[in-house]
Amino acid sequence: MVMACRVVNKRRHMGLQQLSSFAETGRTFLGPLKSSKFIIDEECHESVLISSTVRLLESLDLTSAVGQLLNEAVQAQNNTYRTGISTLLFLVGAWSSAVEECLHLGVPISIIVSVMSEGLNFCSEEVVSLHVPVHNIFDCMDSTKTFSQLETFSVSLCPFLQVPSDTDLIEELHGLKDVASQTLTISNLSGRPLKSYELFKPQTKVEADNNTSRTLKNSLLADTCCRQSILIHSRHFNRTDNTEGVSKPDGFQEHVTATHKTYRCNDLVELAVGLSHGDHSSMKLVEEAVQLQYQNACVQQGNCTKPFMFDISRIFTCCLPGLPETSSCVCPGYITVVSVSNNPVIKELQNQPVRIVLIEGDLTENYRHLGFNKSANIKTVLDSMQLQEDSSEELWANHVLQVLIQFKVNLVLVQGNVSERLIEKCINSKRLVIGSVNGSVMQAFAEAAGAVQVAYITQVNEDCVGDGVCVTFWRSSPLDVVDRNSRIAILLKTEGINLVTAVLTNPVTAQMQIKEDRFWTCAYRLYYALKEEKVFLGGGAVEFLCLSCLHILAEQSLKKENHACSGWLHNTSSWLASSLAIYRPTVLKFLANGWQKYLSTLLYNTANYSSEFEASTYIQHHLQNATDSGSPSSYILNEYSKLNSRIFNSDISNKLEQIPRVYDVVTPKIEAWRRALDLVLLALQTDSEIITGHGHTQRNSQELTGFLFL
Amino acid sequence: MSRLEAKKPSLCKSEPLTTERVRTTLSVFKRIVTSCYGPSGRLKQLHNGFGGYVCTTSQSSALLSHLLVTHPILKILTTSIQNHVSSFSDCGLFTAILCCNLIENVQRLDLTPTTVIRLNKHLLSLCISYLKSETCGCRIPVDFGSTQILLCFVRSVLTSKPACMLTRKETEHVSALILRAFLLTIPENAEGHIILGKSLIVPLKGQRVIDSTVLPGILIEMSEVQLMRLLPIKKSTALKVALFCTTLSGDISDTGEGTVVVSYGVSLENAALDQLLNLGRQLISDHVDLVLCQKVIHPSLKQFLNMHRIIAIDRIGVTLMEPLTKMTGTQPIGSLGSISPNSYGSVKDVCTAKFGSKHFFHLIPNEATICSLLLCNRNDTAWDELKLTCQTALHVLQLTLKEPWALLGGGCTETHLAAYIRHKTHNDPESILKDDECTQTELQLIAEAFCSALESVVGSLEHDGGEILTDMKYGHLWSVQADSPCVANWPDLLSQCGCGLYNSQEELNWSFLRSTRRPFVPQTCLPHEAVGSASNLTLDCLTAKLSGLQVAVETANLILDLSYVIEDKN
Repeated sequence: MVMACRVVNKRRHMGLQQLSSFAETGRTFLGPLKSSKFIIDEECHESVLISSTVRLLESLDLTSAVGQLLNEAVQAQNNTYRTGISTLLFLVGAWSSAVEECLHLGVPISIIVSVMSEGLNFCSEEVVSLHVPVHNIFDCMDSTKTFSQLETFSVSLCPFLQVPSDTDLIEELHGLKDVASQTLTISNLSGRPLKSYELFKPQTKVEADNNTSRTLKNSLLADTCCRQSILIHSRHFNRTDNTEGVSKPDGFQEHVTATHKTYRCNDLVELAVGLSHGDHSSMKLVEEAVQLQYQNACVQQGNCTKPFMFDISRIFTCCLPGLPETSSCVCPGYITVVSVSNNPVIKELQNQPVRIVLIEGDLTENYRHLGFNKSANIKTVLDSMQLQEDSSEELWANHVLQVLIQFKVNLVLVQGNVSERLIEKCINSKRLVIGSVNGSVMQAFAEAAGAVQVAYITQVNEDCVGDGVCVTFWRSSPLDVVDRNSRIAILLKTEGINLVTAVLTNPVTAQMQIKEDRFWTCAYRLYYALKEEKVFLGGGAVEFLCLSCLHILAEQSLKKENHACSGWLHNTSSWLASSLAIYRPTVLKFLANGWQKYLSTLLYNTANYSSEFEASTYIQHHLQNATDSGSPSSYILNEYSKLNSRIFNSDISNKLEQIPRVYDVVTPKIEAWRRALDLVLLALQTDSEIITGHGHTQRNSQELTGFLFL
Repeated sequence: MSRLEAKKPSLCKSEPLTTERVRTTLSVFKRIVTSCYGPSGRLKQLHNGFGGYVCTTSQSSALLSHLLVTHPILKILTTSIQNHVSSFSDCGLFTAILCCNLIENVQRLDLTPTTVIRLNKHLLSLCISYLKSETCGCRIPVDFGSTQILLCFVRSVLTSKPACMLTRKETEHVSALILRAFLLTIPENAEGHIILGKSLIVPLKGQRVIDSTVLPGILIEMSEVQLMRLLPIKKSTALKVALFCTTLSGDISDTGEGTVVVSYGVSLENAALDQLLNLGRQLISDHVDLVLCQKVIHPSLKQFLNMHRIIAIDRIGVTLMEPLTKMTGTQPIGSLGSISPNSYGSVKDVCTAKFGSKHFFHLIPNEATICSLLLCNRNDTAWDELKLTCQTALHVLQLTLKEPWALLGGGCTETHLAAYIRHKTHNDPESILKDDECTQTELQLIAEAFCSALESVVGSLEHDGGEILTDMKYGHLWSVQADSPCVANWPDLLSQCGCGLYNSQEELNWSFLRSTRRPFVPQTCLPHEAVGSASNLTLDCLTAKLSGLQVAVETANLILDLSYVIEDKN
């Protein structure tokens, strides 16, 4: 065995160059308008339609060491957060080239590493000012839902109402005034160009369908009830708001009052629309799923003692290609497809509570639990000459059926595979057996129907059997939903089951995967927003703040030599610590260039700008304003509130249309930045690639130049 | 028909060190290890070239376990470094670089191997006795009563591995966790000799480093579904535990060769299950609360135990067996026969916990000397590096508990030691040579080779083209930008020495490490107050460094002594 070693860091840095070129492939996926790509396999002439970074990287050849690390970083982000992947990939590219340029200028590697991580850390701390708290979402929902509940609420919380502080009243007045001013602004602002908000809101034109009016109505309703909840929780909010107000420079004070109510999100619909990033149809499904879960939780818990948590593990998707897009919907319970031959069984079982058994493994004769070793050398002999008419599988299937009959079980959910013979037998005796059921679905039925999962049918006893499951066709007319493989969609549910299935339909089979991916992206975005109880002001606001903060930091360190930051260098006693100040502004500017590129690509992708250059100039203009203002975060909030006062937009159809705010998730976003920078810095600090084993023997001699052997 | 082939004669090469091939191989190896050294060391990507796992590292243990070397001389070198690392964790790169330097430096001299080896041994014992003596000027006592020095230790280890990708805040967080994990392994009331417990590192990849934490007791990872099926235990007293190391899956034990014939209607599987259920009945009558099994428990037995309110957890895995035995005080049960009552152990309590996306079953001990360090990092390659680094840090703390001294790090010990040897060999050669046959000239030559080998180890701390200086008072290391303007400005250019103990505002004289200077007595016996005031020292583990020094010199001696390589060509 031999080993080869290659120096990757001579003059040009191969790792960084590879990273930039990988990242280049994904730049069109940045932002809400993603153009799909066809990936064609030249060998077998197969092609896939993709429109997300994860799917793109799945199809790319990432076998090089750096490619492998990139894949690892993307997978880690995807597995943990399911969002922020395009951001990660783009920033990997932008920062790789930024780092390369630093290298060209002769900045020592250790300094690039420490200043860049310091800069990003600074950004992550600065963007806290753009947090939008997400509170009381479900309090509001609750009160909009049934009015009687709201009444009981206010009665029980009366003690708080009796001692309202003055600010509360002002706040309420403000809120009322807002509504009044909205009507005024329509006429005033209808003629104005809406250019400036493009920066923060990349093209989210809500289709003027029924959805909009519903959204509007909902949010108005929510508004009235939110005011109620502001009073209830006033102390808490007052505290945070006041501190926020104090930290702002004086000139901004006047806006602070205006933004008080604005930068808080306590309406689920508003939050969902803000997080949809242009994909309203998927987000609508997600939002409905959350509503269903919430309603279910309320019914189950009675008076809602525990705060409601959106449980994403109890959301499922069922993809039905071939149906029109409009058939997509969300239903409580479990929707799955079964073979048409089950048709009569389902007809029989409809309209009656069904008893259920849950099987963990396969339901076949030969299945043994995991970890069981079968002995090969055991032979069974017959004592007498009596002939066995039935095969052993037949005997086994009969036995299973007997157990099912004994316990009056008509529905069996199996996690693994099911024996064909058994399915046949069960259909004949009007019993439904469904295989390949997800573990969480099993768990949901175990909880709701009171069943206990078992590994073998022999384990079944009265305690294991669940009751009260309802089996129906998903649609009233079953022929509607027969797909090409002659399968039909059925719905299983039981009283109080904490399970929601999103049925995703699309007439184009090739787009099914995209549709499903998008649904999950939206679901996870909403999940993290609700879990963290905060979101960012989105649409590029956060990135713009990072960009301007880094510029200000770079300017500052140019003016006065800032030694405080040498602590970022691990090795403080090295000469690098003292020469850090010389290089610091340069490296910070290059880091900021990454954001600049990000923003201009974002703007360019949303098709408002004919070239990236134009977009870049536009950002430059705002950057100048922001740095001149002294406080970029105030500048951004200010721009936002301008935008917000134009709450009605008499665009195109002249219909009243709410421009929803755009939001971003917090931790997944910051983590994506950090992962991107970590990957770039890891590649930067690598000076050689060591190939172990026989890997290099397959390489041709031309490739082998530059290798050293041990 | 078999064919006999004549055996090939063995290949014998003399003077293996002089061949070109060995020289290039050694220099490639040296380049790899030197470029990894220190906090700004460069990383290596190790992979198989087919798109498999990529290991990004600058640690000797990861590097050497992936390297496949063929040449016998390089093999001697890597094996002895690996042996050192496996018992001391720290100072692997130091050992490797020093050994390569020694071989290289000595080869330039025209001395017989016997002389070289003898003198190297003398110098080694000189170093060791100095580092162990009370007058040693580069070591400080470690006070376990305060966390300050201990944290310095951990931080020094963590910051020396850049591939962990930690920010300053994260380094502080992980340092504190490691220290806590270490302290949790020390028994509370120890009399006589102490038996340290164990810190188990539990992986949680993909999460933020800042989410890492330490918990007393053992975490067993389980799926959410499994965990939700567990019954809540309501019991105020300690829980009785049975731990099985045998499988309880109900398979028929190995029948050996041949075939077992059973008549129709007899089910061996059922017989095995009956035996298991009998075992279950005994567990119930013995009032066991918790059954843990290294391997698989038959679902029917599990169901049976659950019905009697016993928690049964299987597939624990072999790695947790030893800590579980220690923590619960059980005797692992290896047979399905009757269980002796003293096999059972106990735990204080159990609970469930969720970290990131993983679910755990948490066993809380009565007396905690076992703890779990839940370690997070953003990606696999950085996690692996961080795990190794944490293990090294924990090991360093353990070694220091045995020998409560720390060496000044950042290269200061090496430069100080080199200054001391130079001084000794110049002023007091007789005490080193004693009644040996070697001459003083030979001693001077070898001492110079030895000292410059030590000094070029610390030279490899510099990767960005800086220069290294040493002061003429303490013999510590200082780093300065290359081609810096003027010698007079040095106190302004330099901030502090490598270990962080001294700063440049003192009236010191500096000279380049590469230049020759007249021998001087480095100041011995550290003033106590100097140590107390410095809060951010870089420290090295004394035990590991001593062993590293020894291994490097002895391996170099062994390699220099080789005169033939005999290869069996068959």
